[in-house]
Amino acid sequence: MSPSLAHTPNFVGWRALILHRPHQNVDALSAQCARIGITAEQAWPTLDDQDAMSGFNVLLIDADMGHDEQFPWAPGLAPIPIIALIGSEAPGRIAWTIGQGADAQLLKPIGSAGLYSALVVASQGFLRRTTQTQEIVRLKDQLAKRQVIAEATAILMLKHNCGAEAAYNRLRKTAMAERRSIERAAASIVAGFDTHGQTNVTNGR
Amino acid sequence: MSVYPVGVLFSRSGGYSRPAEQGYFGALAAVSDINADNAYPFQLKVHHADPKGNADRYAELCRDLIRKSGAQHIVGCTTSWSRKEVIPVVEKLDALLWYPCVYEGFEVSENLVYVAACANQHLVPLLDHIVPRFGARAFLTGSNYIWGWETNRIARDILTRSGGAVLGERYVPIGDEDIGHLITEIREKRPDFILNNLIGPSSYAFLAAYRALGQEDPAFLPENCPVISCNLCENETTRLGENAAGHYTVSSYFRALASEENDRFAARMKADNPSQVADAFFVQAYAAVVMIAEAIRQTGSDEAQGVLEAVRSSGTATPLGSVRVDRGTNHVSLCGHIGRARADGDFDIVHHCRETITPDPFLTATPLDRLYASSGADARQLRVVR
Repeated sequence: MSPSLAHTPNFVGWRALILHRPHQNVDALSAQCARIGITAEQAWPTLDDQDAMSGFNVLLIDADMGHDEQFPWAPGLAPIPIIALIGSEAPGRIAWTIGQGADAQLLKPIGSAGLYSALVVASQGFLRRTTQTQEIVRLKDQLAKRQVIAEATAILMLKHNCGAEAAYNRLRKTAMAERRSIERAAASIVAGFDTHGQTNVTNGR
Repeated sequence: MSVYPVGVLFSRSGGYSRPAEQGYFGALAAVSDINADNAYPFQLKVHHADPKGNADRYAELCRDLIRKSGAQHIVGCTTSWSRKEVIPVVEKLDALLWYPCVYEGFEVSENLVYVAACANQHLVPLLDHIVPRFGARAFLTGSNYIWGWETNRIARDILTRSGGAVLGERYVPIGDEDIGHLITEIREKRPDFILNNLIGPSSYAFLAAYRALGQEDPAFLPENCPVISCNLCENETTRLGENAAGHYTVSSYFRALASEENDRFAARMKADNPSQVADAFFVQAYAAVVMIAEAIRQTGSDEAQGVLEAVRSSGTATPLGSVRVDRGTNHVSLCGHIGRARADGDFDIVHHCRETITPDPFLTATPLDRLYASSGADARQLRVVR
């Protein structure tokens, strides 16, 4: 069990936006929201000020009548967790909610239960997704910088007339001495390397 | 005179028949009291169905009680598992289930009235009482279903946020009496207290084995390392005798609570049936029937939504005190008294709760960091001195 799941989830003070036409289902959702300390607002088809949407903590969207233009962001890029309200279980409508980034669903008609689980699942899913996205960006960045490390190692091999292992060790020690990451130390070695006007010969190719 | 059917859905056999029968007898005692009271210009007629401890029987029997006997009100269910089975039935047929047992919370159904404590009304006051006195290092145990899992999870959450620790957590199947491994582990881990969410025979077997452990090693005597429960009541402690003595229970009701009303009630119940022990499970079911009857008296009908509106609008005098249903959650405010079991099965009240605790089934208003870490550590040192 992850540490965040061991904690009793608490949604007190959250604001939920229900994008659904006025309906008994919305009333049932609002009652469930009130019970767990959430302020609910209803709007259809969208908020007058679409940008205000990202100020909510969770968005409930209507799988039956929803469409991309309701949101100020591209599909899948919502900055808050999304819960889909599903009436017709048509695959196309379910796919639309997945495309929007809905991590949890509630089936209509909405009764007196279900929202709490959906909130826990959607907020955990959202957290996991955003953490993973950030991690992927970081890893990609690191991967890109391997090129810099290789270049810096080559430069040090030339400069000190040594093998790859010795050159890499030298780079690592430099980074440690300068208290910065090995990628940044490598970048400054590459930037400071004077090629004496020589560049790779391309012969205009 | 009108006769209103009342469904009673309790198991009189199976793995948790003792507390379940308490519910059964409590509901019947209340119906008999109502029918004998001229203040109620109608009679209640009990229709009992016995699922015999089989969770899969509850939904079907509940449907029969509503459809065949015409009951709008079902008093019943002991385990959370059986309650979950019944909810879709009462919601579909728009009847009311009056659930008279402590449970773990995280539920609000429009067709349920919860006439017993959820976690902020039982576990939280229990830990608040025990941790400063015995320490914050717990061993958690329970029967292998939702009650034990979730109550222990909340305990773990509270303890770890509050500077305490969970040294072990073990479950046994409902009805299983093979608990030697629990005792071995507790002996190794040496906790400050044991949170017991076992039910029925598992709980009785555990308490017997734990008493034997205490006789071998005084560190496990109740005054040093108590077993604490949210659901071990007089009907069970009376039969457990020395095995339960010295251990703690939190409850909305104890027979030993000192008040004139309670003395009268307890004496009357005993006079009706000398072998009957009216404990919390009994009294909560009793209170549920009184609430139904009082609402029918006020509204002149047993229609479910009208009755619900009536019990939400005003308090009803019951042996639990004046009970009113919270509009937002369908739960009731209750006291969280703490009792220490005696060998005769009654409890010494070590904490007499004077103000009822508002129900908070989703634990949204209850701080879970209880700020007793340092006092817990102090208690451990004091214990050595004492």
